[in-house]
Amino acid sequence: MNANRRGGQRPPKAPRAQKAPDKLVFLLALVPYLLERQVVDVDEAAAHFGVSDEAIRDAVKLIATSGLPGATGTYQPNDLFDIDWDSFEDDDVIVIVHHVAIDDAPRLSAREAAALIAGLKYLTALPENANSASLASLMAKLTAGASATPTRIGVAETEADASLARIREAVAGGRQLEFDYRNALGIAGRRRVDPLRVLSQDADWYLQAYCHTREDVRNFRVDRMSALVVSEVPIDEHPDRVVPETLFQGSDSDLDVVVDVAPAALPLLADYLADSTVTEVDGHLRVTLRLAHVHGLKRLVAGLPGLVTVVAPPEARAAVAGWAEAGLAGYADAGSSVRDHEPTDPGDR
Amino acid sequence: MIAPVPGPERRSEPSIPAEDRLFSLVLALLATEAGLLKSEILSTVRGYAERFDRSGANVNLDRQFERDKDQIRELGIPLETVESPDRPGDNQSLRYRIPKGQYDLPDEVRFTPDELTLLGLAAEVWREASLSEDSQRALTKLRALGIEPREPVIGYAPRLRVRDAAFEPLRQALDRRQSVRFDYFKPGERAPRERRVNPLAVVMHEGRWHLHAHDLAVDEPRTFLLSRIVGAVTPIAGSTFDAPPAGIQDRVIADLAELRMRNAADLAVTAGSDAEVRLGKRAVERDEDAGVIRLHYTDAAVFADELAAYGPEVRVLSPETLRVAVRERLRAVADAHREPEVSR
Repeated sequence: MNANRRGGQRPPKAPRAQKAPDKLVFLLALVPYLLERQVVDVDEAAAHFGVSDEAIRDAVKLIATSGLPGATGTYQPNDLFDIDWDSFEDDDVIVIVHHVAIDDAPRLSAREAAALIAGLKYLTALPENANSASLASLMAKLTAGASATPTRIGVAETEADASLARIREAVAGGRQLEFDYRNALGIAGRRRVDPLRVLSQDADWYLQAYCHTREDVRNFRVDRMSALVVSEVPIDEHPDRVVPETLFQGSDSDLDVVVDVAPAALPLLADYLADSTVTEVDGHLRVTLRLAHVHGLKRLVAGLPGLVTVVAPPEARAAVAGWAEAGLAGYADAGSSVRDHEPTDPGDR
Repeated sequence: MIAPVPGPERRSEPSIPAEDRLFSLVLALLATEAGLLKSEILSTVRGYAERFDRSGANVNLDRQFERDKDQIRELGIPLETVESPDRPGDNQSLRYRIPKGQYDLPDEVRFTPDELTLLGLAAEVWREASLSEDSQRALTKLRALGIEPREPVIGYAPRLRVRDAAFEPLRQALDRRQSVRFDYFKPGERAPRERRVNPLAVVMHEGRWHLHAHDLAVDEPRTFLLSRIVGAVTPIAGSTFDAPPAGIQDRVIADLAELRMRNAADLAVTAGSDAEVRLGKRAVERDEDAGVIRLHYTDAAVFADELAAYGPEVRVLSPETLRVAVRERLRAVADAHREPEVSR
């Protein structure tokens, strides 16, 4: 699949039933847009707002018959919006010929401004945006454009992996990449890939790429790459390959593992759930996880100590036990006398 | 061709869609300087007027208006209530209006095509329903300006997740400056303990969401990890507080970064392991021969969880608190998985 062709498009989203407040915002935004453009084709307006032609036509009909109750409370023609109905019905062209009450874009709400500002803060982590003055001025504009102080949500600028800039360069330029990679199984090797898309999840960065070694599209953790080289060789076309939207996909060779999880920790396993079945057992939730192999499982479970316990199969339990025992062996010198020693905590953090 | 005469036709329709009613209400309130009485709104504005009963109490219509008002305000539209100077405190003489000067996006808030592209990417950062809805709504409003963004950034999908159930109620509490209570499971404590706080800011630091709040019991600011809030976050009825200083979230982030710089751990990592590659990238100092790296961390409990995941690939040399914390975690995992079945 050609990354340059598909990557530019917004991922297809499941159609979401629009709620009345969303429709209201759309109407309030459409009016000033139509006034600003003066004459605009339905399909152009639809493309601008990312909606169907029909949604624009419906909205225009609603606007054209809306207005003010007026002095008599009877919505007289002079108190209503009006459009050029001939151009609208014959040529699919919108022209507002009379407007009332609104002519400008509405302000953002505190929550809306905060969501965009926090998103921008996160983007500051990207190499090309580092120390960007334009991002700061953009955030200031959003604050000025909000009707109340934006909700106090902050996102710390994460230190992006140094290789991220080079990976981005390879994606943008359509160049092959070579790097050493050690996968979760612990197997290391040199990989040659066609980079397709850079993806992140919170503080973790991934590259989705066609791997020439494995002859398939794979996800690579950027922090597991080393000795990265951007090659001069252009990437191949992969028209038949679909770059998955999500990072975690099941395959037939996957391992199903039954675990008990503390209710509060269930969201942390959302990426690994094999199905939506949840049963309650002794105050824990019993769910089935699907993972590529036990090597991923043992790391996952050990990283959620006390929150997740493997129930079955036995070999998965054994793998986790073995992993933890091996880790514990590294501390054997300390003896068991410190077992009751409570860790001191500096504060509520 | 003759334009259809809209008014009377539409008004004879049995039911008017909610967005039609809300739109008509916003238009009516924007057009009035003095404000409209509730009775005027209910009896004349489309969507209400059709159902208005001149002789009745209009209780349902009244409730509808209250809900609509809240929805409109939630969208950031400044719907004001004005008391009558002659009859203060009289609800029937309250007037409602939307001052146009506070409704319109200020003239200086205009965006370049490049900026709009960035905002589009910023909106895509959010995968969660509520934040994604908010950012998409913001983009819809900004599309009113008629600026076409430049081609979107290719092959790029930075994403932030909010997996903590406490996030949404806390965000609402921040907006409403509403005190809340929740149970908090502090590491090292045996059981969760109730906290009553004034939420001041929610920040993401090192991939985790933190709440900065004024703890009412100790009368001091505290920082909590959202992942350790157990159960529901509930508002404390009737308890609100003054707005914290603007930009407090940036100060909280700076404080967390400073805390991080104060904590340093020395770790022995196995050569050629996942731990060596991944933790090594974050090392501030390293001794290649001994296989020892030094890393900064913010929270010993969080960092200990992360280190436990590496099993035998990493061993904590110092500090002792972190060493003990990792060992305790590994022991807990080993105990829970040892055969035959042992009690958890």
